[in-house]
Formats: sequence, structure tokens, C-alpha cells
Amino acid sequence: MKGCLFNIDGGYLEGLCRGFKCGILKQADYLNLVQCETLEDLKLHLQGTDYGAFLANEPSPLAVSTIDDKLREKLVIEFQHLRNHAVEPLSTFLDFITYSYMIDNIILLITGTLHQRPISELIPKCHPLGSFEQMEAIHVAATPAELYNAVLVDTPLAPFFVDCISEQDLDEMNIEIIRNTLYKAYLEAFFSFCKDIGGTTADCMCEILAFEADRRAIIITINSFGTELSKDDRAKLYPRCGKLNPDGLAALARAEDYDQVKAVAEYYAEYSKLFEGAGNNPGDKTLEDKFFEHEVRLNVNAFLQQFHFGVFYSYLKLKEQECRNIVWISECVAQKHRTKIDNYIPIF
Amino acid sequence: MGSLFRSAEMTLCQLFLQSEAAYACVSELGELGLVQFRDLNPDVNAFQRKFVNEVRRCDEMERKLRYLEKEIKKDGIPMLDTGENPEAPQPREMIDLEATFEKLENELREVNQNAEALKRNFLELTELKQILRKTQVFFDEHEGGVNPTESMTRALISEDSIARQGALGPVQLGFPEKSIDPEEFFPCFVAGVILRERIPAFERMLWRACRGNVFLRQAEIETPLEDPSTSDQVFKSVFIIFFQGDQLKTRVKKICEGFRATLYPCPEAPADRREMAMGVMTRIEDLNTVLGQTQDHRHRVLVAAAKNIKNWFVKVRKIKAIYHTLNLFNLDVTQKCLIAECWVPVLDLETIQLALRRGTERSGSSVPPILNRMETCEEPPTYNHTNKFTSAFQALIDSYGVASYREMNPAPYTIITFPFLFAVMFGDMGHGLIMALFGGWMVLKEKQLASKKSDSEIWTIFFGGRYIIFLMGLFSVYTGLIYNDIFSKSVNIFGSKWMVNKNWTFENVRNEESWMLDPAKTYEFEQVPYPIGLDPVWQMAKNKIIFQNAYKMKISIILGVFHMLFGVSMSLWNNLYFKNKLDIICQFVPQVIFLCFLFLYMVLLMFIKWVSYAATNDPGLLKSSPYCAPSILITFINMVLFKPSKVPLGCDDEMFAGQMVIQKLLVVCALICVPWMLLAKPIIIMRNQKKLSYSLSHQQMQSAATENGDASVGATDQQPMQNATQVSAGHGGEDEMTEMFIHQGIHTIEYVLGSVSHTASYLRLWALSLAHAQLSDVLWNMVLSKGLIVEDWRGGVALYVIFTFWACLTVSILVLMEGLSAFLHTLRLHWVEFQSKFYAGLGHAFQPFSFEVILDTASAPVEE
Repeated sequence: MKGCLFNIDGGYLEGLCRGFKCGILKQADYLNLVQCETLEDLKLHLQGTDYGAFLANEPSPLAVSTIDDKLREKLVIEFQHLRNHAVEPLSTFLDFITYSYMIDNIILLITGTLHQRPISELIPKCHPLGSFEQMEAIHVAATPAELYNAVLVDTPLAPFFVDCISEQDLDEMNIEIIRNTLYKAYLEAFFSFCKDIGGTTADCMCEILAFEADRRAIIITINSFGTELSKDDRAKLYPRCGKLNPDGLAALARAEDYDQVKAVAEYYAEYSKLFEGAGNNPGDKTLEDKFFEHEVRLNVNAFLQQFHFGVFYSYLKLKEQECRNIVWISECVAQKHRTKIDNYIPIF
Repeated sequence: MGSLFRSAEMTLCQLFLQSEAAYACVSELGELGLVQFRDLNPDVNAFQRKFVNEVRRCDEMERKLRYLEKEIKKDGIPMLDTGENPEAPQPREMIDLEATFEKLENELREVNQNAEALKRNFLELTELKQILRKTQVFFDEHEGGVNPTESMTRALISEDSIARQGALGPVQLGFPEKSIDPEEFFPCFVAGVILRERIPAFERMLWRACRGNVFLRQAEIETPLEDPSTSDQVFKSVFIIFFQGDQLKTRVKKICEGFRATLYPCPEAPADRREMAMGVMTRIEDLNTVLGQTQDHRHRVLVAAAKNIKNWFVKVRKIKAIYHTLNLFNLDVTQKCLIAECWVPVLDLETIQLALRRGTERSGSSVPPILNRMETCEEPPTYNHTNKFTSAFQALIDSYGVASYREMNPAPYTIITFPFLFAVMFGDMGHGLIMALFGGWMVLKEKQLASKKSDSEIWTIFFGGRYIIFLMGLFSVYTGLIYNDIFSKSVNIFGSKWMVNKNWTFENVRNEESWMLDPAKTYEFEQVPYPIGLDPVWQMAKNKIIFQNAYKMKISIILGVFHMLFGVSMSLWNNLYFKNKLDIICQFVPQVIFLCFLFLYMVLLMFIKWVSYAATNDPGLLKSSPYCAPSILITFINMVLFKPSKVPLGCDDEMFAGQMVIQKLLVVCALICVPWMLLAKPIIIMRNQKKLSYSLSHQQMQSAATENGDASVGATDQQPMQNATQVSAGHGGEDEMTEMFIHQGIHTIEYVLGSVSHTASYLRLWALSLAHAQLSDVLWNMVLSKGLIVEDWRGGVALYVIFTFWACLTVSILVLMEGLSAFLHTLRLHWVEFQSKFYAGLGHAFQPFSFEVILDTASAPVEE
């Protein structure tokens, strides 16, 4: 019955999304890609996959940035197609996904203008999923309050921004704080939105978002060591929808070095595993990669269940990971730096 | 030959090509399209193959051609398609081609760049012109205002704010307090052009960012402007923003930049503006001539390219296909020659040899290519020679399943049976004629229609099946003649053989509800049948449907039984060809007996009934009168149940002498066939295997004995080896045995039950025919006849309207929809009822390397 009701509005799109998912590169494809000698080889191999002729109209020689752009363009087209066909509540759900890109874009633009870069140079670097109408005029604002009043008030990000208005001016530190506060508000809102949808969507998405929240909390903590960010301020940035909430976050707030963070993670089975293999020594995987791997695992799991919105989120994330992988491999190929070429994160 | 009845005999060949000659040879083979190459390096990645560089160069050339094509299409220049098929150029010509394309592309890019720059210039000037014109209005509105000595802009603002105080939008809200004090207020302004759809957000942003301290006026530019980079037509608006102070200025400028508005200098003084406008006008005129020249140049380049582009596409695609094929080949150790493996039809070996020789000559190589036939245990692909007529029918068969290699191909029989069975369901001369005319038109205009490639899928399907449609139409006309049915009416060609009693008067006919005609009376029926088809009198009869049902049902069963029998007999040819004696005895014979003894006998009964009973009023002939005629269906059911039939008083209980005995015998024989089909084959196979293993163990003992110093070891050595493999298969085959039993069981059940259900299934011939006739009857009575009742001139008008309606319904419902449904039912009758009797359909199709196919598929996506 639930499937019946779901399929009235979401059936077609879910089917479509699952179809797209089948085009995600497999391990065998990566093994072939890794063997490529030049970017032309890479292009030739990608032609044999679901990407098809997406590079066919690019004049040689290829640049890695072209590949990156084209990969992203394809993903964005697919996502926009899904979004254009979606109805409530899926459309809001998909919009929520784009908000995170909007946050990234805003931060990118502010940082760019802070460093006196012309806005025309920054715009192409923004993620197309997160673009909004007022985006290009963002450098009008000099303070967070102005930013809010002039630019963000009309965007869907406005409610997330309310907490940041009090900041004094836009310097590097504050931008980071704004980013994290925005992200915290966004994640919590997204989390509660998924909770409200309920059902399998909630089961699936809350799992993924909880991890996302915890990852941010941990990364913020680790990055804050050696900066002037106070512990109280730090604690304010933790998204409070993860599994670490509340005890883990409290412990993280007290942490003073990497080992203490690790100790906190020890209490949580899934995170302790990630910390175990991680390290910065050559041969080890970085903690970031470990997190990515875990994220991929969670997202792949989302496809095990049917009739929920999680697949759209997961598809986007998996595809992004795939883009990162391909770009990594092509960077390695282009720079003839083959020793680290295997550091991609396979999806299937 | 017989290649129409079976797929062509194939053989696996090994082809040794000298590396220099390989290209030319493969090109010749591609023109021929009779060879299917096998991939000899399946483990090698696409980019690690030998000719990958050439393939890549072809890709690059194709990309350039696509770019050219896009540009040509953009300018709407017709591309010359002569339909000629240039040969694949020599590899050395590739460099020429590449150079040509490179030159063209560069030239075009340069021209485009110039054009774009010029256009941008032009756009800017036009925008400036528009600004000057539109802002003029803003300024003019206030000329001769309250204080003409003051700066005009100031006047504008104060005037405006007074005039519109609080009237429109938020923009004006900021002004009242400001304009009170005009002395310290030196407003500056910027003017620019912005995309029209961005205006609302732009306005809001300005308001928010400047806290309402700016004043914006805007006017729409009516004519759309061309965006130089995408050459889209976009609508824009002119705006002018008034503000005060430098801080606001930077801010406003930033916002303008953010919204991609282009700002232009606009002098304050009207004289300056006028002067500027004049300058702009002359510059626009200059630019126009330059632009025209650039366009002309571009046009010339493109027209020259358009003449050749199709030709180039063909060439490049051929080269690419050749290198793709060469990539499938194995390289000899010495690198001197390429080794290919391919499937070829045995009959065409000669042609292929010739093509290879031509290829060698063309490349000027001295060593001839070698074509060796190879032994293989692989199943060869199925290749049916088709022409434009048979290909559609073959496609019908292949969509069910490609025939196993050398299996009987049902396609040739389908050519006749398919339209015929269709027509039985679609029997109407009028509808058939429409269909035949449509099909005939497609057949006649074949060449023109084929060259006009259409993207419409429905049209492609219709056109592909033009011969089927044509035949279906013709056959429908024939069955319509038999049913005597044209748009649900009959035609009285030969004069009805029935007549109404001579001594009727007009009155008593009027008074009667109906008039009974008795076929036994010679003054009502001439006692000779209507020469062809149904007597038209039935059209008026009340019992028309009852009569037609009896007739059509019987016809359906008769056709069905013969169709199925034909299918079963096809399996005999299959078994004879594959030398499957066991299957003939254990499957074919009982199957035929079962079908004949039960169902063919029923058909026989029908004929007996038709022949031996006739309308008569003679009491002496009571036994052959309709009164005594038994129901065939009841007789048949009783026969299977071994029950005597109940007959009315005074009738024979048998239709012919000894009927009961014969019937019992037939049923018993048919029933015996069931266990025969079920058990005989597996048991015989099992016994053979046992015998084999017994003789084998015997042999092994013998050979063990002979091994001791005997000389004949060599001869016997191989036999046990072979047998051993067989036996191990046999022993490990306990499971296989049960599997075989199960398989045979399924097969038997399917056949026995299938015979019953399939026979019943042929009744769809009757059912659809009935439905079609009734529907067309309804359409006539409910629609067209309404137009015929109205009298005088209004009748003409009514008929004119109603006929349109009726004609549309006839074509859409009766011809299209009913035709489609009859088509699908016919398809089912062929796939399920007919082909299940003999057709395995487990083969894989022969996919020859052919330029024609490659070019067709390559040009398809481009056409989108």
C-alpha cells in the first residue's frame, strides 16, 4: 500500500534515479581507468560507460578541468531533470539538497571578494546546483548583517542565517564560523524535515545526515586546534542531530588534541573503526578518506530500500564521489604521478 | 538453394591479411556486408588496442564535422545529400581530410569570433541607442517643469517624487524627506541595460542594499536583442538609477555588475545626448555593413562545406568502422600480417574471395590474403537471406526468437498465412481496400519515402511493414467478398438465389413483422448456391448472426487444425534434417496421431454434416433433414467421454455407418499417444546409455588385455578415451535423466493440453470477425444512416457533415484500431499456436560488418 501511494508521485523519479545509479562506474571500470596512459585513453574508456559521448565535442588536448566541468554538467543536468519533475514533498527535499551547495557558493564568493578577486572570476567556480539569482551581487555586503539584509533575505537560506547576524565583520575566521553555523542550522533543519516525512525516508536519511553532522563536529574540532577559536564558540558550531549528541559533543567540546578526539570516537563503534586505520603516514588513508568511504557505504545502503527519498540524496552524493574519483585519476594521469592513483574510493 | 526455408549455412573462417592490404580488404568486406568478425582480443581494453590512434583521429574528425554541421544548420543552409556512397578513402588520404577539416574549422572559428565581437559591438551600440532614446523620455517628461533653471535631473526627481508620492512600489518611498532639501542634493545617475526577467530581483536588491536611497526607472526595449555568444533572442530593459553620493555609487555599480547589467555613459545635457545619439547611429550603420560582409563570408564558407559534408561524414565513418574492425584482429608474431576470425555464409565464399582479391589489388600488395575454413563446435549464427519483401515477415519471426541454426524458418509460410489469418478476422471489402490502398501507396512510393528519413516511430513501423499491410489489405478484400461485406453492407452482384413468395401484396408485407423464407421450398430458394461468398439476402435476415456464427466458427476450427497440423509436419522436416530419428518416432508420430485422430476427425465430421444434411420437407428424407442434423460440438464431447449421443425421435444415432466404433478406436489410439510421447524417448535414451556403458566396460577389459604386449594399442587407444568422456557424462547424468523426464513431461503436457487450448484459441478468428462486423454495422446504423433519413436539400447538408464523422470513425476505429487488434491476434496465432509446434528459436542473429548498417545507425542520432 505504501509503495502504491509512493509511486503515484515518486515512482517514476525513483525508477529514473535507480536507472541513473546503474550507470555509476564499477570497480572493473576503475581498474581500466587506472591503466590509462593519457587523458585521451581515459576519454575513450569513459565513452564505453554510461557517460557515453559526453566529451565527444571537446577539442583535444583535453584538460582535467574540462573533464571536471563536463562531469559536473552531466550530474547537474540529471539532477535538474529530477527536480523539474518532482512534486511536493520530494521537490522540497531536492531543494534542501541544493541548499548545501548554496552555502558553499556564498562562502566561496565572500572569501573570494575578501581576497580582492573579481566576481567574474569566482562565478564559474561556483557549483551550478547552488546558484541563485542574487548570488553575483554578494560582494555588496561588508558585514554579516548586510549580507543577510541585502542578499540572503530572499533566498531559502534566510532562516539558517539568523544566528550569524551578530558577527561583527567578515574576516577569515568569521567566514568559517558563518559557514559552520549555516551548515549546522541547515543540517538540523534538513534532519527535522526528513523526520517529518517519516517512514523509510526518515530511517534512511537520518542515518546519513547524522553521520554528516558527526563528521562535521569531528572535523571542526580537529581543525580548531591551534586557532583562536574558543571552546565555547566551537561547541556552538556542532550540528546537534548526530549520534554524538549530546554526550559525544560535550566530550568533543572539551577535547584539546587529536588523541582526545580519538578517545571520544572510541565510544562509538562505527567512528572508532574509522579512526583506527587513519593516519597521515604514507600508505595510510587519511581520516577524510575514511569518512568518505563510510559515507559511500551509507549511501549505497540507501539503495537497499525502496519507496523513499534517500535514493536521490545518495545518488547525488555517490555521483559526486565518482566525479572526485575520476578527477583524481585524471589528475594523476595528467601529472604522471602514478603512485597515488589508487587512492580513489570505489563505490560498487 | 533452399535458403528461404532454412538459414544459410555458415562457416567459421580464419583470415590472414597482410598488414598493408588489411585496410583495403576490410573496406571491401564492409561494402559487401557478408562477414561477421569475432573479437579476438576481448581482454584488451579499448584504449590498448592497436589502431586506437587512428580511431581517435577519426573521432576528432567527426567532432569537427559535427561542429561544421551545427553551424550549417544554424544558418539553415541545405545540405546536399546526393545519396552517393563514396568508397572508404585510403589511409593516406586521411591526412588530407584532416587538414581540410582543420582548415575549415579554424576558418569558421575565426569568422565566428569576429562575428561575435562585431555583434557584441553592435549590441552595445544598440543598447546605447535605446538608452539614449528611452531616457530621453524620462528627461523630457519634466522639461519645462517647475524650475527650469535647475538641473534637469533634480527637477525630474522632485517632480517625480511629488507627482508619485507613495504611489508606486517601494522605490519612491525614500524620497519625500530627501527632496525637501534640494540644495545639498546633487543626484548622479547611471543608465544601463538589463535582462528583463531579472528586473524584479534587481529592484528589490537595490532597495535593500541602498536602504531605499535610490530611484529606479525602467523602460522595456520592445524588440528582442541578439545575445552574441549564444545568438539567442533576449528581451532587455533600459533602466536609469538616480542616487546620491559616491558610496552609493560604488554600491549600485556592484549590484549592477552582480546582475550582469551593462552600464553606459549617458551625458546629462540634452545637447550632448543628441550629439551622442547621432554618433551612435552612424557607427551602427558602419557596423551593419561590416557585419553583413562577415556574414557573407561565413555563408560562403558554409555553403562550400555543405556541399561535401554528407560525403565527408560517410568517409570518416567508414574509416572509423574499418579501424574498429581491425582492432578486433590478432597480430601475427612477426607483425607482418593480421589474423581475423569470421563467420561467413558458405555460399558467399566465392564473393568474399573476390572482394579480398580486389582489396589486395587496390592496396598494391603482392601477397594474396588467405581464407581458411575452420572446424568449430560453436553454434554458428543464423543468417536468413532477405529482400525488401521478405524482410518484414522475417522480422515478425525474429522478434519472437531468432531461429536456431539451420532450423526450419517459418517466415516463407508466414508470408501467406499471416495476411490470410488476419483477413479472416478483418473481412470487409471496404476496410480492406483502404488498407490495401495505403499499403500500395507506400509500396509504389517506396523510393521517395525511404529517402525521406522520418523520426516518427509510428511511421517507421508502418513503412517497414508496407508489404504486410498491402497483403493484409488484399486478403481482407478477398475475405470481405466471401463474407459479402462492404462497410457492413452486402453487394448483390450475381442476384440473390432467394426470392419472396410470388403471391404477396404490398399490404401483407407491410403488416408482417418478418417474412420466413424456407430453403426447402423451390419458389423461395433456387436450390443453387450464390456463386461466390455469402448470399446477400442474409444481410437482411434476422438470423444473420446465428447463421454467420455457425459458419465462421467452423471455418476457424478448420483453418486452425490445418495450421497446427502444418506446424507439426514442419517438425518432421526439422527432425529429418538434423537426423533425429528418435524424435520422429517418439514425438512426431504420436503428435500427428493425437492431432489427427481427435481434431482432424472433428473437422471431418463438419464436412460430413455439410454434405449429408440438406434442407428438405420430404418426410422420406427425414434422416438427412436439418431436423436430424447433430451438433458437432456435442458429438465430439460425447466421443471423448464415450457416451452415445441422444438423437431426436426418428433419426439415426450415427452420421455414418460404424461411427461409434470408429470414434472409440480413435479416442483410444489418441490416448495411447500420451504415454508414448511422455515415456518413450527418455526410456530409449536411458537404455542406450546403459548399453553403451556396458559395452564400454567390456571394451576396457579387452583393451586392458590387449595392452599386454599387443600391437593394436594405437588403434583402440582413442576409442576408450572418447567413450570414457561420454560415460562420465552419462554417469554424472543421473540428474540429467530426471531432468530429461521432467522436460519430456512438460513437453507432453504442453502438447496435449495445448492441442485442446490452441484449437479453442483459433476461435478468436470467429470472435474478432464477429466483433468487426458488428462494430461496422453499429457505425453504419448509428451514424451514417442517420444522415440518409433526412429528406430534401437538408439531407445533403446533414449527410455531408455526418459522412465526415463516419469516415473518420471508420478509419480510426475500424481500420486502425481493429486492424491493430487483428494484427496482434494474428501474431499470437503464429507465435504461439503455430510456431510452438516446431520452432525452437534459440539462435543468435548474424551481424555482418557492413558499412550500410553502420552508416544508418550513425546518421540516426544526428537527425534528432
